[in-house]
Amino acid sequence: MGRLTPDIGKTACRSAEARVFAVALGLGLSLLLQGCPTPYEWRHQDQWDSREQIWLSEESQVKLRAAQSRVFDSTDRRRTLEVIVDTMQDLGFMVEVLDEELGIVSGKRFEPLERPNIGTDPYYHLYDDQSLLIFTKSYLTWGPFWHRSDLVRLTITVRKRNETQLVVRASAQFYLRAVEDPEPYQKFFRTLEQALFLRAQTVE
Amino acid sequence: MSHTMRAISGMIVIAGAWFLQGCAAPEPSQDLLAPTEAQMKLRSFQSRTFDVKDRQLAMRGVIAVLQDLGFIIERANEPLGLVTAARFAEPNFYDVLGVTVTVRQQQEGRMLIRANAIYNNKPIEDPKVYQNFFAALERSLFIAKE
Repeated sequence: MGRLTPDIGKTACRSAEARVFAVALGLGLSLLLQGCPTPYEWRHQDQWDSREQIWLSEESQVKLRAAQSRVFDSTDRRRTLEVIVDTMQDLGFMVEVLDEELGIVSGKRFEPLERPNIGTDPYYHLYDDQSLLIFTKSYLTWGPFWHRSDLVRLTITVRKRNETQLVVRASAQFYLRAVEDPEPYQKFFRTLEQALFLRAQTVE
Repeated sequence: MSHTMRAISGMIVIAGAWFLQGCAAPEPSQDLLAPTEAQMKLRSFQSRTFDVKDRQLAMRGVIAVLQDLGFIIERANEPLGLVTAARFAEPNFYDVLGVTVTVRQQQEGRMLIRANAIYNNKPIEDPKVYQNFFAALERSLFIAKE
């Protein structure tokens, strides 16, 4: 009897280990199978509801506006718009919307980002002689609205502040979210200042 | 600790690290809206001045040359001198080639025309492409003047 007890203990311990192992394996497998197979896909979220987009903004509205806006001592709206288009071309943006009356310029650019390393990236096959559009996680489109994970969007508005000044506001979107960090905007306005030969002031 | 337990804890650590790095969306870089050195160099290849007085004539020339090259005009804004166009690229026609052209009045009688093109998601950096475009544009403007 005295010799049997440690053997029983060892067997019990081994079966407990085996059970833990099986549970861990099961958990791991179920995690893999639940439809989130690669880190690349984890980074993409489905946003079915447009309200989610609006509520995504984390910074206070006033702070964000101050970071995105600058005042220029100029009344020449057309020249300002032209210089904005030039600056966007310098930055590699493709201009998509340009309205002088409303003072809006919008454009897009693609950032070099990671790609799934398994298989081909389907967004390249937008249109070939056999098929129409292919909808994937990295290329979604609904009429004029479409999204790609590497897409940077930029909208600039120009409006009159008073008799001698204009307010220029830039807002960028990256990876579906509004860019709220002030630094990219500072760099953008520095470039714009150089192109306009004017000094920008922050909005008070 | 037994081998199995060590293996399990190792697996959990690896899975945890994988899980955490996978879920973070990339942050925009600080230089998201700042021009790079390469972009500034590209600017000179992309711009050329032409002896054209009439801005509308220059716009028409640009549109005509884009049509000659098989582009579909997406938008054209005469007062601000902007034309954008796109086409599917040879040989398979599932790559997209997009181009933005601006027309600016310089001093009397000179017109500055700048084109920038992207191939799928990359800007075209080969000066030859722009040289060919401007050569075609020169011919087109010459025809338009006749």
